[in-house]
Amino acid sequence: MVKHLFKKNLKVKSIVFSIVCLFNLSFLAQNSFAAEAAKLSDDAIAGEKLFKANCVSCHAMDRKVIGPALQDVHTRRTDEWLVKWIRNNEKLRASGDADAVAIFNEYNGVAMNNFENLDETQVASIITYFKEWTPPAPVVDIGGPAEPKVNFYSDSTLYILLFLIVILVVVLLVLRRTKNSLKNSLKQIEKTEEITSEPTAMQEKMAYYKKRINPTILKLAIGAVVLGGLATYGYYFGVTEVAVQQGYAPTQPIKYSHKLHAGDLKIDCKYCHSTVEYSKQASIPSSNTCMNCHKAVDLRDRYNGEVSPEIKKLYAAMDYDADERTFGDNPKPVRWIRIHNLPDHAQFDHSMHVNGAELTCQTCHGPIQEMEVVEQFSTLQMGWCINCHRERKIDVENNPYYEKLHAKIKKEKEDKSSSYAKYFTKDGKIDMSPAQNGALECSKCHY
Amino acid sequence: MSKKQLYWKGEDELLRTKEFLASQKNEFNEALPLDEVFSENNLGLNSNRRDFLKFFGFSVAAVSLAACNTTPVRNIVPYLVKPEEITPGNANFYNSTCGACSTACGVTVKTREGRPIKVDGNINSPISHGGLCATGQASILGLYDTERLDGPKSVNNKNVGKSDWEELDKTVLGRLNEINASGGKIAIVTNTIHSPSSLAVINDFKAKFTGATHITYDAVSYSGILLANKNAFGKQVIPSYNFDKANLVVSFAADFLGTWISPVEFTKAWSARRKVDGISKSDKVLKTVMFESNLSLTGTNADYRFPMKSSNEAVYVTSLYNAIAQMAGQTQLAMSRSGELAGGAIKNAAQMLWKEKGNSMVISGSNDANIQAVINGINLMLNNYGSTIDLDNHSNQYKGIDSDMAQFATDLSNGAYQGVIFWNTNPVYSSPMSDQIVAGLKKVKLSVSFAGTADETAVHCHYIAPDNHYLESWNDAQPKHGVYQLTQPTISEVFNTRQAQTSLLTWAGMANKPEVDPFANKGIYSQKETASVYYMYIKALWAANGVSSDEAFNKALHDGVLIEPAKPSMVPAFQIVLGDLVPALDKATGAKDDIDLVLYQNISVKDGSLSNNPWLQETPDPMSKVTWDNYVSLPKALAEARGIQNGDMVNISLGKTSLKAMPVFVQPGQSNGTIGLAVGYGRTGKIGEKGAFESIGKNAYPFLRLNNGTYSTVSSGVKIEKIDGNYELAQTQTHHSIEGRDIVRETTLGEIKENPKAGNDKPSAHLYTLWDTKDYKKDGAPNHHWAMAIDLNACTGCGSCVVSCSIENNVPVVGRAEVRRRREMHWMRIDRYFTFENINNTDYSEGLAFQKDNEGKHVTKEKGLKELDKIEKAKKVSDFTHWENVKVVHQPMMCQHCGQAPCETVCPVLATTHSSEGLNQMTYNRCIGTKYCANNCPYKVRRFNWFRYNDNDRFDFHFNNDLGKMVINPDVTVRTRGVMEKCSMCVQSIQAGKIKAKRERRTLSDGEVKTACQRSCPANAIVFGDVNDENSEVHKLFKNERSYRVLEEINTQTAVKYLVKVRDTEKVEA
Repeated sequence: MVKHLFKKNLKVKSIVFSIVCLFNLSFLAQNSFAAEAAKLSDDAIAGEKLFKANCVSCHAMDRKVIGPALQDVHTRRTDEWLVKWIRNNEKLRASGDADAVAIFNEYNGVAMNNFENLDETQVASIITYFKEWTPPAPVVDIGGPAEPKVNFYSDSTLYILLFLIVILVVVLLVLRRTKNSLKNSLKQIEKTEEITSEPTAMQEKMAYYKKRINPTILKLAIGAVVLGGLATYGYYFGVTEVAVQQGYAPTQPIKYSHKLHAGDLKIDCKYCHSTVEYSKQASIPSSNTCMNCHKAVDLRDRYNGEVSPEIKKLYAAMDYDADERTFGDNPKPVRWIRIHNLPDHAQFDHSMHVNGAELTCQTCHGPIQEMEVVEQFSTLQMGWCINCHRERKIDVENNPYYEKLHAKIKKEKEDKSSSYAKYFTKDGKIDMSPAQNGALECSKCHY
Repeated sequence: MSKKQLYWKGEDELLRTKEFLASQKNEFNEALPLDEVFSENNLGLNSNRRDFLKFFGFSVAAVSLAACNTTPVRNIVPYLVKPEEITPGNANFYNSTCGACSTACGVTVKTREGRPIKVDGNINSPISHGGLCATGQASILGLYDTERLDGPKSVNNKNVGKSDWEELDKTVLGRLNEINASGGKIAIVTNTIHSPSSLAVINDFKAKFTGATHITYDAVSYSGILLANKNAFGKQVIPSYNFDKANLVVSFAADFLGTWISPVEFTKAWSARRKVDGISKSDKVLKTVMFESNLSLTGTNADYRFPMKSSNEAVYVTSLYNAIAQMAGQTQLAMSRSGELAGGAIKNAAQMLWKEKGNSMVISGSNDANIQAVINGINLMLNNYGSTIDLDNHSNQYKGIDSDMAQFATDLSNGAYQGVIFWNTNPVYSSPMSDQIVAGLKKVKLSVSFAGTADETAVHCHYIAPDNHYLESWNDAQPKHGVYQLTQPTISEVFNTRQAQTSLLTWAGMANKPEVDPFANKGIYSQKETASVYYMYIKALWAANGVSSDEAFNKALHDGVLIEPAKPSMVPAFQIVLGDLVPALDKATGAKDDIDLVLYQNISVKDGSLSNNPWLQETPDPMSKVTWDNYVSLPKALAEARGIQNGDMVNISLGKTSLKAMPVFVQPGQSNGTIGLAVGYGRTGKIGEKGAFESIGKNAYPFLRLNNGTYSTVSSGVKIEKIDGNYELAQTQTHHSIEGRDIVRETTLGEIKENPKAGNDKPSAHLYTLWDTKDYKKDGAPNHHWAMAIDLNACTGCGSCVVSCSIENNVPVVGRAEVRRRREMHWMRIDRYFTFENINNTDYSEGLAFQKDNEGKHVTKEKGLKELDKIEKAKKVSDFTHWENVKVVHQPMMCQHCGQAPCETVCPVLATTHSSEGLNQMTYNRCIGTKYCANNCPYKVRRFNWFRYNDNDRFDFHFNNDLGKMVINPDVTVRTRGVMEKCSMCVQSIQAGKIKAKRERRTLSDGEVKTACQRSCPANAIVFGDVNDENSEVHKLFKNERSYRVLEEINTQTAVKYLVKVRDTEKVEA
């Protein structure tokens, strides 16, 4: 498990980061050269756009998907025939064109959609794209941001080191003391024979202080300071660190990116976490939800015609054969790593917060749409829950659930002595926090 | 009630024994069990101070080391393909049929993420009407039982070995064909089957194997009623008993509220007819008169209860017949003896019955066909057939005839059968002819058992082909004429088991796989192909009988029931002359001085088929409050005469049958001259071998005697012999004493008709105010105020709520030893208070209340108890015959959710606090276990977790294995050692209900949130709701004149109110 870096490791972190950046820069430079090699004419670029918008769900350039591979279709057919076929293949087949009927039969009577919404020039530009298309240069796996954060030191190593250092220091002190006492006894033996040497200035100073400060009190004072320091640290550590996993960002079995899906592609959170509005649990989506899109999206164009290695893991989980487009009967569920761990005695209900209180996901989970690797954004400590329950407001007026409560409060609005007076702001609006409605009570969450 | 009645909970409280007085002084009368704590997990250390320090040091070090560890990685594994109907975190409900006994109550099964976690009554079912008994509730654990067989087994000389379905089918089929070819006989022995499809499967099997016969055998049978109806009316059925139409029930030991035929159905009807609110003078409630030997649940709830010697039942029944015949002008029966009970009970009953002609009912629990025939005669004279008793829309719930089984056992031991198949029955355990059956099984060519566990019978068979649990099965049921119910699987097979019907169809060569498997690709319901075989069979059978469309079938499946209109109920023609039965009846009467042994079924364990269920074992018997054992129930007079006390052991013998070293319980209410003994205990075999279940009680079935073709539960002439040694029964009885306080209130129907506040019109006590009065309107959000009303007049004390509560709230089972130490964890208990009828004028009116000194002031508790002790000792303890006459009040007791709670003020860490919705909240993770709250609780409803009850080999119940843990309710925390717990009023359901209403943006309607106890109650005695909602039922009940708070004088402002019990007797005399 990769744990977040401890603050004291910042230096190490920054060094590692800068090294990684340097490497990345050099690879990026190489990559940009590779991209320049395949430059298209403007017409072909327009064609590419149209191709991606209309055709990619069934066709790829370099391999058979639902329809045939198109990379050298312009050599097999005339442009005229292609335009006719693309715009209305049904008509073409009806006209008795032998090639058209042959193709239709070859694909077991699965008809291609008609694209009469595209005019002839648009279709022509698509064909230009076919002609100018070249296989993409092999993509070098540049690592980079998709790589998980590397953590060289875990907390426990640090503690063990600290512990060893403390022990070593103690051993040193003991040794020094033994040495001194040995020295002293040697001196005492010598003293009987020799005249004591004159006291040094340092020794005089020591003697001066020794007279004035009771050594027991001194030792006690030092002890108290040390203990006080330790206690303060212990308290701080206990409150902020024990069982708090803020920043926890484990490497998941599939490197799924929320930044890509929720951020760039703007897929609604509820599309995948579909139970969040009516269940306690937001639910990790079942793998078939992923397949809704990834049956078609396999990113072969970016991985030399191979399925993306991460999507491959999804296919393995579903036992899906990407070439044959069939499901096998040996699926293995994905074992995701749970990031947000509430203790068992804390009962949190997603539907209440998302549907009932209309909070956004980001309120608790942070800028999830920007996270390449999801990390725990909030502390998930009880104090954090409580704060929110104190600060937010209940919509007493518009939720019919609070009908009776609302009526009762409204009735006593004018009565300043009423205990309901606290539910009003100065300008007479109802202002009631969940806390005022009992949301700080133990058995609202603990049962 | 003008006279103060004395209520008491156990005989030691009444007699003020030394031990009891000692225990009264120290509420927690044991030292801290440090030695046990340290010897836990077999550390095996005799602890002393040094060890303590060592442990202390070690645990500090261990904790700090453990704290260094990072939090463990937890995985989430989502579905690959999420079934449409499953939402993680939300429960699904399916209607089905309970398979715990052949009563076949309709149930609603709650499943979470595809696993069943709770069974409640199906509101649509005319058998359960939404209630369910303790046994049915607990039957869900049978699904997650580690002792279930994990697949087909071959048995060789009691050694259970592995097999597989293919091999089993091949061998079984081979031998069946062999037997069939040679014309041999095959017996299919089952309990009562009323499933039309299962019966059709058996017929198909019989058609293939022509030598096959079907023998129906019920361990506890109703052969007497069946045979009597066959002889008298030509219909071998149990009639429908319409308690809702009756104004008077006279029962001879038929415990219809507890165990007799269909107790949930009867309790629903009975309690509905006990409503007294707004009653006018002419209105009638259902009056109950009980004649019995053992104190039964019905006996405790009857308006009049008369102890009788059961061996004389024939005499009393004929006396009643004659008394009524006299009024009806019919011929009387010339018995050699006539009998009457104290106070002219029989004559009075006859007169009451005559007045309620056509609206009454006489029933008997006897299994003697002749007695039942006389009962039929009585009902016929009273015109009860066609109104309260319905032979046309009869019950199918029990069909077994004892003589069939006895004949089978004899034939089997004579080698007349070559093949035997046991299905849902365990005769080696439950039949008194078990030796003959075992001997006979050695002679057969093929014996197969469908038992799910290797039970007593199964280990004597060649093969065990384990049947599915009913929660994994498809089935149908016809518990009553015109009432059809369906059973549907709520989980796919946990083990490699196969439904018995599919096995029979396979062997009959009819297990054709459907062309289109209806369960292919259906998520969790994609069962093995074998499941769909029987499903298709049921559908085809239903289609052939009119339910042809998928819509109609699915509607029946959704509702759980399909009800045909009832046939008109006719008055049958009487076909026998009762006078002919007189010699037999005379013979059935026991000698005067002989002691009767009366066998009975315990409320929870019943016939013993589910006796390895820890929930059932830990449910206290409603009358004795004994758990985990059966015992000889003695009347006080007999115990005194023989010098036997509670805790002693006796040998009992009847002819050649004997039971050695049985524990004794002196049961108030046990009729003089009789002793009681529960069947269903003493299971052996694999169940008996495992740790905690080792020898739970002893088997009483061998005491059954075959009389006139039926097994009689009553035998005269039993011998009792006291032996040395002690045995402490695990009782919950005297754990909590009443101390003469005004806790239960009772009145009579006559009084309540005149004054709705009768029995509840005590001058309001002085309310002490220790706390600032909490005003919900002023001090908190006044949205809801949760409250509960419990009608003592409806509550029968059956204990269904106790089990339901334990399942819903993950209450641990603690076992016999811990119950003995008073550490049961039940959040809910049913307090049972005895009171005397004052038949021999013993004056208890001063009660156990604190005595007053000469100046009329209350003396201290110790002084008062000492005084009482003197009075009791001075009294001559000679005459105890009146102990058979007790009245009983049951009172469910759980956290009262005090508005001003004594527990809350003493908690040093604020672990128990008050919510603005009136709940007394218990926060486990704050609790440090000082137990101050339990000390300060006036209701004694708080429970302390002395141990970690999960994953602990010392508590080897379902919390100790992964399979058993599947039944845990994921919405409720499993508590750990060292914290206090108590009833939360099912706050998880409250929260779920509120959240649902909030997100659907509507108000929460009354009855939407129900507590577990309320859901299960067969008597509708518990009502929960928001007392702030003026239209709610609980609000109305709180305003009811009968409602009162327990210990109102200490001003705790409880959120639970009780409603005064009303008996239909004469006024309690002044």
